[in-house]
Amino acid sequence: MSDPATFAVLFGLLIALLAMGLWVALSLMVMAFVAMAFFTNAPEGLVLATTLWGHSHSWPLAALPLFILMGEILLRSRLSEDMFSGLAPWLGRAPGRLLHVNILGCAIFAAVSGSSAATAATIGKMSVPELKSRGYPESLILGTLAGSATLGLLIPPSIILIVYGVATEQSIARLFVAGILPGLLLVGLFAGYVAVRALMNRDLIPVEAGDFSLMEKLKASRRLVPVVLLIAGVIGSIYTGIASPTDAAAVGVFLSLILASMSSSFGWAEFKAALMGATRTSCMIAFILLGAAFLSIAMGFTGIPRNLAAWIGSFELPTYALLAALTVFFIVLGCFLDGISIVVLTTSIILPMVEAAGIDRLWFGIYLVLVVEMSQITPPVGFNLFVIQGLTGINILRVAKAALPFFLLLLLGAALITLFPGIVTVLPNAMGN
Amino acid sequence: MRRFLDTLYWGAGWLAALSILGICAVVTLQVALNVISRLGGTGVNFTIPSYADFAGFALAAATFLAAASTLRHGVHIRVNLLVQRFPPRLTWLSEVAVLAVGAGMIAIATYWTAMLVGESWHYGDQSTGIIAVPLWIPQIPMVVGLGLLCVALVDTLVEAIRTGRPVLIDEGDA
Amino acid sequence: DTWDFPTPYGDGIFHTANIQQFAEEVEAATDGGLDFTIHSAGSLFPHAEIKGAVRSMQVPIGEFFLSRLSNEDAAYGLDSQPFVATSYEDARKLWEAQEPVITELLAAEGLMPLFSVPWPAQGLYTTGEIETVDDLNGLRFRAYNAQLEEFAALAGAAPVQVEAPDIPQAFSTGQVEAMITSPSTGANSKAWDFLSHYSPINAWVPKNLVVVNQRAFDRLPEDQQQAIMDAAEAAEQRGWEMSMAEAEEKTQELADNGITVYEPSEELVAGLQAIGQDMLETWDENASDEAKEILDAYRN
Ligand code: NA
Ligand code: NA
Repeated sequence: MSDPATFAVLFGLLIALLAMGLWVALSLMVMAFVAMAFFTNAPEGLVLATTLWGHSHSWPLAALPLFILMGEILLRSRLSEDMFSGLAPWLGRAPGRLLHVNILGCAIFAAVSGSSAATAATIGKMSVPELKSRGYPESLILGTLAGSATLGLLIPPSIILIVYGVATEQSIARLFVAGILPGLLLVGLFAGYVAVRALMNRDLIPVEAGDFSLMEKLKASRRLVPVVLLIAGVIGSIYTGIASPTDAAAVGVFLSLILASMSSSFGWAEFKAALMGATRTSCMIAFILLGAAFLSIAMGFTGIPRNLAAWIGSFELPTYALLAALTVFFIVLGCFLDGISIVVLTTSIILPMVEAAGIDRLWFGIYLVLVVEMSQITPPVGFNLFVIQGLTGINILRVAKAALPFFLLLLLGAALITLFPGIVTVLPNAMGN
Repeated sequence: MRRFLDTLYWGAGWLAALSILGICAVVTLQVALNVISRLGGTGVNFTIPSYADFAGFALAAATFLAAASTLRHGVHIRVNLLVQRFPPRLTWLSEVAVLAVGAGMIAIATYWTAMLVGESWHYGDQSTGIIAVPLWIPQIPMVVGLGLLCVALVDTLVEAIRTGRPVLIDEGDA
Repeated sequence: DTWDFPTPYGDGIFHTANIQQFAEEVEAATDGGLDFTIHSAGSLFPHAEIKGAVRSMQVPIGEFFLSRLSNEDAAYGLDSQPFVATSYEDARKLWEAQEPVITELLAAEGLMPLFSVPWPAQGLYTTGEIETVDDLNGLRFRAYNAQLEEFAALAGAAPVQVEAPDIPQAFSTGQVEAMITSPSTGANSKAWDFLSHYSPINAWVPKNLVVVNQRAFDRLPEDQQQAIMDAAEAAEQRGWEMSMAEAEEKTQELADNGITVYEPSEELVAGLQAIGQDMLETWDENASDEAKEILDAYRN
């Protein structure tokens, strides 16, 4: 069978399995299993076992349950409620009000965590119930969360930039530094979009109670102290060199437990509920990651992504046309592969053609992450969509619809760094050669 | 039987939760030791050997051991947009089909991971870190957890067939 | 036939380039009867799973870092034992002593070694000049295996576990102050961004190994088997030369980018070798008979 036909059959199978209501992780696993059994010579059972083991005990992944646990503790101790009450007086006049907490919260958390799933799960655990109870529109709550959580990949540290850096022999430190300005650019685009929506429709965003004097604002801000201490502790532990980025997740749990135990509302029962909740949520996410890893390996054996990439290369397009074609290619792949798989499966083929077109490999890494961020919020396989469905029970298609404007903003971001590559290169160039 | 199975899922779920607490404890302890080493200056240094390896193994145990309880609590996510609009009879049928496919897939996974453990044991595969761990040991929870998930899927399938309606209620739909 | 060939390192690493050429030679010699799809940078299987995958014929052929297996038998780890073999000449001699033993150990797992290529000798990276072993005292030193932990302890340094991707951050924040690795790794990670001094102390010369599944190999027609063996021999020859060229090139690159590259002083070398000698004594207590056999053969 030709590659496009194989691709169509497998994609159809995935849609059918998902539509039947088979669990996402299992749908990915079954599709990959079928792909291996019918379209490759490799022994699918053994490869499945190797993948389940090889991808389940990785050290960077150990941060995932810990960050989710931190979010659960903050939620159940009402520390997150305090954070919103403390911020409300300050953001009361900003167009979009507390929706900006979602965006900035994700951006700050992204500076600690390297994955977008952990970012969506941790911030979402706290912000979704709070914003909902305050009457914010569902589509903007979900959209800002889904969109901003993708910043976990771009703002350092970032697992995907490490994968790209290792595969292309580049300085990971420089890739991290290169991600900073594009990350801030996206924060600006997201916040700007929320503000414009709020200004266009005055009734969209609920009013936060009353006008506050400066004294009152400062008084309310006392409630921010615990959360500020927590953020400072976690980020501080990384930048003073006493904790690696993965270690920092445990520091977060430890500090949030101390802070929570000082509040009267957090006892043994809440702790048990938080722990069990975190265990199940991280199990759900880890299983989807395993399904995606198996699918990625199956695709590696079938060679479909590699061949598609080579096919694009065969046209020898000029720079901008090549980038446009690759963007479409990554968006299509992103519908059913996760970000890391896309990078891993295609860099070997794509990097030489990109360099032949005179594109800087450092710049391309950031562009790639930006485009791959979009795959986190496109159905049917989009990690942020899954995480948010897990948090809220709202179907991924509805979440995807809410995230669509943010998908377009990411596309705009990619266009901006293409037109103004300095956004990416100015900081790393300042580091010297 | 019902109570026995529920206790089994519950117990494995708690083992998973304890694994996550274990990761937390080991890593926090290492960070505390880092602080002490920093403050203590030359000659004062402590490390927990291979703590990253152990955290990884605990993560694998947590992921697989929690799977059955996660399924029964409706936390594993799926897209039931379409299925919910079916007439009840069809919804039930698709639930039965999905449970059967899932049980089959996980049965295959359980079998082959058991083979993998057998191979690790036979050849004496070891972890590569400072402390050598025979790999079959941390691989056991994977097989146990997958086996239990398979049991939970079959259990739910039997229940769905017997009662004639879908059993699992996804979290958030409730 | 097409063979999937997983490797742990990226396309720009000379090991991968060498394997690429090996594949092309086999393809040419068999008139396309046997070709390879190289999955570089761990894109098919993570590094830790490659050996097992070849063993159970998930893939017929693969590459890994040899001393990763040292917990399974000390024979695999001798090339990463500090100050046993410190030059290419010694490394060659050590590999000649290792090869028959390792071939036998791997045969028990149904694997056959095809060729082994060394990394450049490992040098010392620090944030200041190290004149004697005493200067290492109290430094936070990166250790990722038992040998390095022991080395750090004997030098009076504090072993710190840092995963490879975290190295730049660990240096920038002072989490580590010294490490031993190859000039390739140093240059590729742009070590000049976060440290200042490099000394080619040639602590050890570790190797990668390419293995093939024996059953998969036996199934091939004889001319294809011969093509593989010929190409493997050429690849080993070429790989060692590439490694030597790489050592010079990458050390130069470090210097060109502002890192102070200095020859180790005699006192430093003597001190380090004394540590190496101590470590070998501990090694001797735990090593298997095969491993000791290798060391005897190497020394005579
Ligand atoms: Na991040
Ligand atoms: Na997607």
